[in-house]
Amino acid sequence: MPESAVALSWGLLVDDRPRSGFENMALDATLLRAAAAGHTFLRLYQWSPACLSFGRHEPALTRYDRDRIEEMGLDTVRRPTGGRAVWHNEEVTYALAAPANAFGSLPDSYAIIHAMIARALKRMDVRCGLAPAPRSRHPAPSAGACFASPAGGEVIANGRKLVGSAQTREGGAFLQHGSILLADGQDLVTTVTRGPAATPAATSLSALLGRPVEFPEVVTAIVREARDAWGSERTGAAVDPDPDLVARFSDPGWTWRR
Amino acid sequence: MSKIPPALQYTEEHEYVALDEADIVQIGITDYAQGELGDVVFVELPTIGDKFDRMHVFGTIEAVKAVSELFCPVAGEVVDINGALDKDPSLVNRDPYGNGWMIKLRVKRVDDLKELLSASDYAAHIGE
Repeated sequence: MPESAVALSWGLLVDDRPRSGFENMALDATLLRAAAAGHTFLRLYQWSPACLSFGRHEPALTRYDRDRIEEMGLDTVRRPTGGRAVWHNEEVTYALAAPANAFGSLPDSYAIIHAMIARALKRMDVRCGLAPAPRSRHPAPSAGACFASPAGGEVIANGRKLVGSAQTREGGAFLQHGSILLADGQDLVTTVTRGPAATPAATSLSALLGRPVEFPEVVTAIVREARDAWGSERTGAAVDPDPDLVARFSDPGWTWRR
Repeated sequence: MSKIPPALQYTEEHEYVALDEADIVQIGITDYAQGELGDVVFVELPTIGDKFDRMHVFGTIEAVKAVSELFCPVAGEVVDINGALDKDPSLVNRDPYGNGWMIKLRVKRVDDLKELLSASDYAAHIGE
């Protein structure tokens, strides 16, 4: 398994504008396809409009109040990755797509990526660490946000979740993406959840540092850490989303498929 | 150490194949695979009658933090699926070779079974 300082051929994509939910998911899924062909990408991006994303297999129709979501005018998308709902508003989102064995096994890759992000945030003087592995089996997810509870290995601060991540593996590659909260607005997930829901136990960079934190500062820290870990990125890494993936992730039939 | 029953056959993608009848096999994921994935929260299975080629994707499995594809170890037609996984996907964690099975397949070419890994080959593949 690669350690933190291993040369890697990787491409860096820092979006120069926030994108909509379906554009973001289509682009991440396109990177997953490129990863299956042997490429590694790190992408850093934001969302506009703010968007509620569901996990790949989440029962969104029964778990969330679609009428209320539409009355509130919220954008929605279903991710290609697992996990639970996330409200993407004030955050920096990372996506790492790579060949399946580039970072070892599934647990290894999860741990390596989160450790790198934690080191990057520590460069910003954020006191954070990785959540310990749970001692007992995790129950099947009940209603509630991704940020309601940290899984083992996720980035936490003051016992609260700072980065929520999810991964998918297909075609000999993996995609892991996750939300690094600049400010906490995850209560919105509870607002649109039917019935009782676990209260999100999230924290944010702004709350931890006691000052506003913006996208460029976090991007700078993560890119520096990635370069330290893998060496300089290759140039010319621009990628456009595949049209069939744009069609899938913009289709309400996909978003509300279950 | 993961459980690797010696009577079963395996794929490098961590599916197992158990011969049920002459041309019917039971397919699921290995104990090692469920351990790597962590707590399984959803299993997306095909429908009875679906046909798959060897190593084509027959479904997906979601653990707490990751979604992975499920590969059909041999070509054939689905003759049964484990409906119990819909209500209790954690059966895959608790009993992968028993109540956590996924599909039963009528094998298209029985000779294809010879190409699967033995228990000892699979143990070597996962480094155990």
